[in-house]
Amino acid sequence: MGVAESHKSLAVKSINQVVFNHLGGENTVLSRRNFLKTASAAAFVTSAARPLLTWAADPVISIPGKDGLIVRSYRFLDLEMPVDFMTDWITPVNHFYVRNHMFPPAKFDVSTWKLTITGKVEKPLTLTLPDLEKIPVHSVVNTMECAGNGRTFQSPKVPGIQWGKGAVGNARFSGPSLKAVLEKAGLKDTAKHVQFRGLDQVPGKVPPFIRSIPIEKALDADTLIATHMNGAPIPAHHGYPARALTPGWVGAASCKWLTEITVLDKPAEGNFMSPGYRFPNTPGKPGEPIKPEDTHALTALTVKSLIAAPSDGAKLKPGAHVIQGVAWGGEADITKVEISTDGGVSWNPAQLGKDQAKYAWRLWSYPWKPAKSADSVIVSRATDSQGRTQPDAAIWNPSGYLYNACDQVKVYVQA
Amino acid sequence: MRTFIGEIRPSKLALVAALLWAASAVAQSPNAPLPPGEAKEKAEAACLTCHEARIIVQQRLSKAAWTKELDKMIKWGAEVDPKDRDALIDYFSANFGPDQPVYAAPKSQALSGAKSKSKH
Repeated sequence: MGVAESHKSLAVKSINQVVFNHLGGENTVLSRRNFLKTASAAAFVTSAARPLLTWAADPVISIPGKDGLIVRSYRFLDLEMPVDFMTDWITPVNHFYVRNHMFPPAKFDVSTWKLTITGKVEKPLTLTLPDLEKIPVHSVVNTMECAGNGRTFQSPKVPGIQWGKGAVGNARFSGPSLKAVLEKAGLKDTAKHVQFRGLDQVPGKVPPFIRSIPIEKALDADTLIATHMNGAPIPAHHGYPARALTPGWVGAASCKWLTEITVLDKPAEGNFMSPGYRFPNTPGKPGEPIKPEDTHALTALTVKSLIAAPSDGAKLKPGAHVIQGVAWGGEADITKVEISTDGGVSWNPAQLGKDQAKYAWRLWSYPWKPAKSADSVIVSRATDSQGRTQPDAAIWNPSGYLYNACDQVKVYVQA
Repeated sequence: MRTFIGEIRPSKLALVAALLWAASAVAQSPNAPLPPGEAKEKAEAACLTCHEARIIVQQRLSKAAWTKELDKMIKWGAEVDPKDRDALIDYFSANFGPDQPVYAAPKSQALSGAKSKSKH
């Protein structure tokens, strides 16, 4: 069995890598030659180890470098981390969520990649990867979250990728500071916003993914042109060879596959600045439209916590358990996480993990010893250094951004 | 000692198995299918050039919201004959309305198994 299993997984891996190649941004086809090669290698083990009907009913989606993630969309790729993976301070790349608005870049030779810096600058620049690598490296551990994380919990439902809890992760990003590059180009007095554009392939007449950040954030020492993630060159899914890293802000502020930086005298225009990625200035009535003039562009993330364990619906024995999870506050620090094991009636503080960094989430844990059989609703509630506390209900908005209601799971304690 | 038959039979079996397995691999698209319906083919033609169906089938929207989405997509390049617009809105609203149960998304294969949860 052990041998058959290992052969099977090799064969499955092999054929799927041939069929489902994402990174080129191509619609790959199974060539006849590779098909026969992989198929014959796979033949014996498959017929013995895996009934065809079972396999047909249980789709195998192989995404090299991304293990066990929830597939919100395969083409183009949007992947979510299951919340029970959130037990590490640094999220391994193979578990880090992926958000694409369109197709990734076509395969390109990195030696031809360049980054231009133009607009309201004294001296427009064109940098190659070796040029970037000559600039001192700065590292930032950053919790990156998609603005639409938790969208599926909005009521009434809103359109968009129906993210559950896991369009968020915490990684160490490294590269030159954006400030160093902007200073090389020399900012003019009129410089007010910095616009990013990536190499994403735009289908149909979809507007290109172009967004800008205000000059103050662009000049923050922690805003990077990140070439590395968790100590390795940034992987293709995350923007190889370089991405913007706007720490503490919604993921959309950290443009992947960066190729153009344009300094502007006003915010960028286009779909992904308006109506995209905007939030009501004051909460409206759920389900009601909001006038564009009553909205602002999303910037920093808000205060939020998630319960990684136990899982929602878990059956537990009476006795000692550890409730654990993560909490973050964008540009703010987490000051407190409180746990309720009675559906929000009574609260007790969780212990915060020792690992911390300015824009990084905190792990937290709370020992719990249910004495008898009962159904329990466990709730987590974070508070940050800006005095914000997670609400019972998030602010409804037409695009479902910044969902941050207190997290909860229901568990069944049975002797 | 292997007989002539003993050598040939497994390879024939292997070929059959390989073809079946590969056929199921091809049928096993990682992209989600659209449900049956009169407008299914029109929807496939209009939508699936730019994205897979999973982006559609996970939505739970009112007819008004589907109308807005379809019109946005037409603006963004979806090719829809004006006479098919209403049928498409009806198809999406009937299959992916607010009262439908939540779509259960699949997971990507965990290739590296237990090692995928490495500690840092």
